[in-house]
Amino acid sequence: METVNTETALQNIVRLTDNIETVIKGKRNQIKFVLTALLAKGHILMEDNPGTGKTVMAKTLAQSISGEMGNAAVNFKRIQFTPDLLPMDLLGSHIFDDVKKEFIFKKGPLFCNVLLADEINRASPKVQSALLECMAENQITMGEVTYKLSDLFFTIATQNPVEMEGTYPLPAAQLDRFFIKIIFGYVDEDTELDIYKNYLGINDNLLHIKQVLGIEEIMHLQEQSENVFVHDEIIKAVRNIVWATRKNPDIVLAASTRSGITFLKCLKAYALVNGRTYVIEDDVKDLAQPVLHHRLLYKNKDAKANALNQITMAEMDRLSKLKIN
Amino acid sequence: MKKIKLKNIVGSSSMLLFGGGTRSIVAQLVLLILPTAIVGAYMLWHLNIYYSVLENQWINESLFLTSGLIAGNIFYNFRFRFITTFLPLLFLLFVASKIVSNIFTGEFTAFYAITKFYIFSFLFLLGWVSGWAFARVRWFPVILSALLMLIQILVISNTTDITAKKLVAAFAPVLLFAFYIIYTAELIRNMNKDEPNFTWFILKKLLGFAIVAGLILLLIFSFYKKEFNAIEKQYGGGAPKQEGNAESLTKENKDGSVSNKKQMGLGGGRKSTKQLVFIAKLDNYFPNSDVPNPLYFTYDYYTKFDTLTQTLEVDSLMPSNDLFQPDPSKIPLYFTKSDSSVLDSAKGFLKRKVVSTEVYKALLSPKEFLAPSTAFFCQPIAIEKEYKQQFKSAYRAKMLVSDLNSAYFVYNPAGNVQLEDFQKQRFDELRKVNNWNNEDPAFMNYYTFIPKGDDFDSIRTLAKEITKNAISPVDKIIAIRNYFLSKDETGQPLFKYTDNPGVPGLPSASKLNYFLFENRKGYCAYYAGATLFLLRALGLPTRVATGFLTVDRSSKNKGWYWFYDDQSHAWTQVYFPGYGWIDFDTTIPSTDQQEAPAPDGTPPVTVQTALFVTNGNVLEVDTVKKRVSMSVTQMIYNDKTFALDRPVNLDMDVSLATINRDSGQVPLSELHRGNQVTALSFSEQFKNIVLKDSNDYKEIFAKIPKPAPIDEIKIIDSTQEKQQPKVTTKPKTISFTKMVWIGVSILAFLILLLFAMPWLIFKWYQSKAKNKKEVRSKAYYSYMAATYYLNQLGFSKGTTPMLQYAHDTIDPRFGTSLSKFMQVYLKTKYSDEQLTNPEQETVNNFYRPFYQKIKQQVTFKTRFSKFLNFYRTINFYSKPKI
Repeated sequence: METVNTETALQNIVRLTDNIETVIKGKRNQIKFVLTALLAKGHILMEDNPGTGKTVMAKTLAQSISGEMGNAAVNFKRIQFTPDLLPMDLLGSHIFDDVKKEFIFKKGPLFCNVLLADEINRASPKVQSALLECMAENQITMGEVTYKLSDLFFTIATQNPVEMEGTYPLPAAQLDRFFIKIIFGYVDEDTELDIYKNYLGINDNLLHIKQVLGIEEIMHLQEQSENVFVHDEIIKAVRNIVWATRKNPDIVLAASTRSGITFLKCLKAYALVNGRTYVIEDDVKDLAQPVLHHRLLYKNKDAKANALNQITMAEMDRLSKLKIN
Repeated sequence: MKKIKLKNIVGSSSMLLFGGGTRSIVAQLVLLILPTAIVGAYMLWHLNIYYSVLENQWINESLFLTSGLIAGNIFYNFRFRFITTFLPLLFLLFVASKIVSNIFTGEFTAFYAITKFYIFSFLFLLGWVSGWAFARVRWFPVILSALLMLIQILVISNTTDITAKKLVAAFAPVLLFAFYIIYTAELIRNMNKDEPNFTWFILKKLLGFAIVAGLILLLIFSFYKKEFNAIEKQYGGGAPKQEGNAESLTKENKDGSVSNKKQMGLGGGRKSTKQLVFIAKLDNYFPNSDVPNPLYFTYDYYTKFDTLTQTLEVDSLMPSNDLFQPDPSKIPLYFTKSDSSVLDSAKGFLKRKVVSTEVYKALLSPKEFLAPSTAFFCQPIAIEKEYKQQFKSAYRAKMLVSDLNSAYFVYNPAGNVQLEDFQKQRFDELRKVNNWNNEDPAFMNYYTFIPKGDDFDSIRTLAKEITKNAISPVDKIIAIRNYFLSKDETGQPLFKYTDNPGVPGLPSASKLNYFLFENRKGYCAYYAGATLFLLRALGLPTRVATGFLTVDRSSKNKGWYWFYDDQSHAWTQVYFPGYGWIDFDTTIPSTDQQEAPAPDGTPPVTVQTALFVTNGNVLEVDTVKKRVSMSVTQMIYNDKTFALDRPVNLDMDVSLATINRDSGQVPLSELHRGNQVTALSFSEQFKNIVLKDSNDYKEIFAKIPKPAPIDEIKIIDSTQEKQQPKVTTKPKTISFTKMVWIGVSILAFLILLLFAMPWLIFKWYQSKAKNKKEVRSKAYYSYMAATYYLNQLGFSKGTTPMLQYAHDTIDPRFGTSLSKFMQVYLKTKYSDEQLTNPEQETVNNFYRPFYQKIKQQVTFKTRFSKFLNFYRTINFYSKPKI
């Protein structure tokens, strides 16, 4: 197994994180989760009220990565999902070319590197499922032709927990495609004060943000994250947690094997994001909620609040008392 | 444990459970309830030995307890409320008890049925509550262990003879159980319900526990061994177990012979047989007549009452101890033992005369001595050959008896003029006495002592009530006797005699009060005990005497009396200044008592007088020639006793002699060199010796025939002395305080161990952390030591990962580098990479400064008190509460 080229990989991560942090203040953990999803070749779903910085986060990330050409940033697209949005609005459509006298494919906004799908739950299920293939297979099939998406295709979807009328809750299969779901959350009081004092500067930062990493470097990091060392006990812990969700009577829909694999991928990526070449028990605790919570269906509110947490804590307890030598 | 809301519990059955999981119930039943039931059964069995209320039904009783335990535990493992279910259960039992008492109509059966039902209800409820507590109350095992320990201490402190074995038998199971139940309950509470190999996990833990518990118990018992042995010595240990005849006044010895018991319990039944115990010739006649006057044969005096066990007790420290109690088997034949000091102590000389008696023992142990009071002289005598089968040993006794005493003075002279006259004379004589003022106050206080308490106050009131019309003390005694003989308003006798009086429903209730005010049935010990307190309440010095009741049934052989087992008796003695202790018997006659079989056969009337008796040690035995030589140290010749200055060797011809032991006749081969023996001769050859100086034993030895013809040799069993307990030493009831002391010191030791445990565990981790060389294990132990130390000092990470907790809380607070270390530690734990040199440095240099820094910042007082907290240690190893 190829080991991680620690030095450069870690440096790159730090550079990316620091760069994003110049714009997104006081959201270190959220940045880490976003990067984790990115490095695990997954997608991320962010849930929070409007105005907490979700869009800026996505933009900043896109701006920080330079495209294939060199200087320019990677292709960043933003789609505001609405109930009347149609799949072709995303994927693109065949239009008639007057000159060539044939239908040509006009690429939709999905053909990009970083996609911000705003308020994804407002779109109708067919739009949501159109997104499904792209996210899972990294390709779009229109009629008989299949179009490859860019190698780096990262979706940041947002969901608004308020104003639930007229929304289409994401189906379980769709949710499963999102490696990580986080609640973006407000910044703490001091950071908020800093932001107010310096919002002009922050805006300025966003406009003039540097591209610190190239797309190849990102893809290299994605490869590197696969090589992060995971101890057998950690793998066992993942297994135990997944199994525990199946045994828990409060959980109606338990974690699948795929979600277990996703969990492992995320663990590796998260370790790398945290500057480590091995996964530790704290990673398991940090990631269990973001990775698994949205995949499970609970019996009631109480269970939703506690069940997964309890399972994780029990497993953490086991790990923390473990003597591995 | 997390509570699940009630509305959401419909669904799978396991969800109905409180703690969750059939597994948990099964674990509780097998690992907690079953051992508790076993220990409960053991405790009941153990209590049955000491308390007759339980009536030897321990199997049934433990079944009641077990059913309650199992039912309660299963029931409360489901989500039932305790109060709302327990109260209906109580009500149900109450209704059932009413039904039971209505079904059984007869007074006797009703009483027994209802008592049984109460015992059942009590045990079942006890089990039920324990089952509940096992399911719901975390600290119950601790409470239970403490309770069991207390019960054992109470039980043991009431036993008379304590041996190390008994102590171990009483405490070891309870101690072991205490360790086990606390440990296992915690284990089950913290068990991982999803642990795949749960059974194996539990087995492993229990095995470890068994080893540790065994070691601790061994330690404790070896630690306290000296103490145990000391107790055993002090409290008459090694005494043969008293079995059977639990409430009989006599006890059976190992060899089947009969002795009197030293404790007289009230309660249970009295069992007696119709076996001949001894016969006696008593040369006592009514004044100025040849009518034999039988006297009660006294064995012992009971002067103390133990309120806890409700038994009368012998007290060797009683003032003016006038009890003469030699061991006749230790006195060589025809040699005498006397103690005239008892006559002083008896304090009575008026109307007294010296009388002698000869006692031939049948079933009575050779060690026992009985005689009418007040005996002062004992001389073992030989039995003629033809009676040797019937009687094992015999002695002659002399005593100073009062003319005022007679076995005939029982209750009713039944028209016998002579006896009525005697009674009247006796009462007239005693009526003169009404002043005890000149007596020693200590003596009076002792013999009129009544324990405090409501029970005894009611006896006082009754005594006043009964004797309100009597003026002189004797009339008061008669009034009490008449009270026992009186009839109630329906014309039925108020009191009845029965060997099985039953017991009060509540074990703690006063049996005396039950006898006097409720049941009014009992045997001699009840009447004697009640009379003792009634008389003492009136200020009359009184004690209870035990021994044998004398019945004159023989018209042929005047002065000979036969004593059967059922004649063992208890009565009271009242002290009259000048006259001494006078017998009073208030036991009423049994209406359905069967007569003892009439004595037949002839008494061994011809008492031989041995002309020549020697006492000494055997030097040589020749079984072929039938010769024995002995070294004589004492000698009797023609009723004259000689103590020899220097032992004289004597050759004896034993061809006609019988060799005896206490146990009976033995062949000559049993006689060995060194045995202490007494040799007797009835031979005529000794009669015709003419002596110049009758005081010179040398001359006697010179003139007696050689070898001397010997008719009987009695072996004095000195070797058995070690095996058999000395009868004359009175076993004391071990003092409650002493027992509590030992119990408390054991508990204190355990508690100390418990409190020292956190510190010991920490020290262990610390030494590992400091001494390990290999970097990975050093990191591990440093981590354990550090987290344990922090946890014990109150910095528990809870559910936070240690790295985060260190970073957020510990390092900012104490200025330590725990988070840096944690990062390295986690690397050693989860990474496959080698540590870099700086990382190794971090591990190596972490623990000491860390420990020092924290130590500096937390005061000794805080550290000390926090380290006493055992609960934190438990939390450290148990799962965090989420």
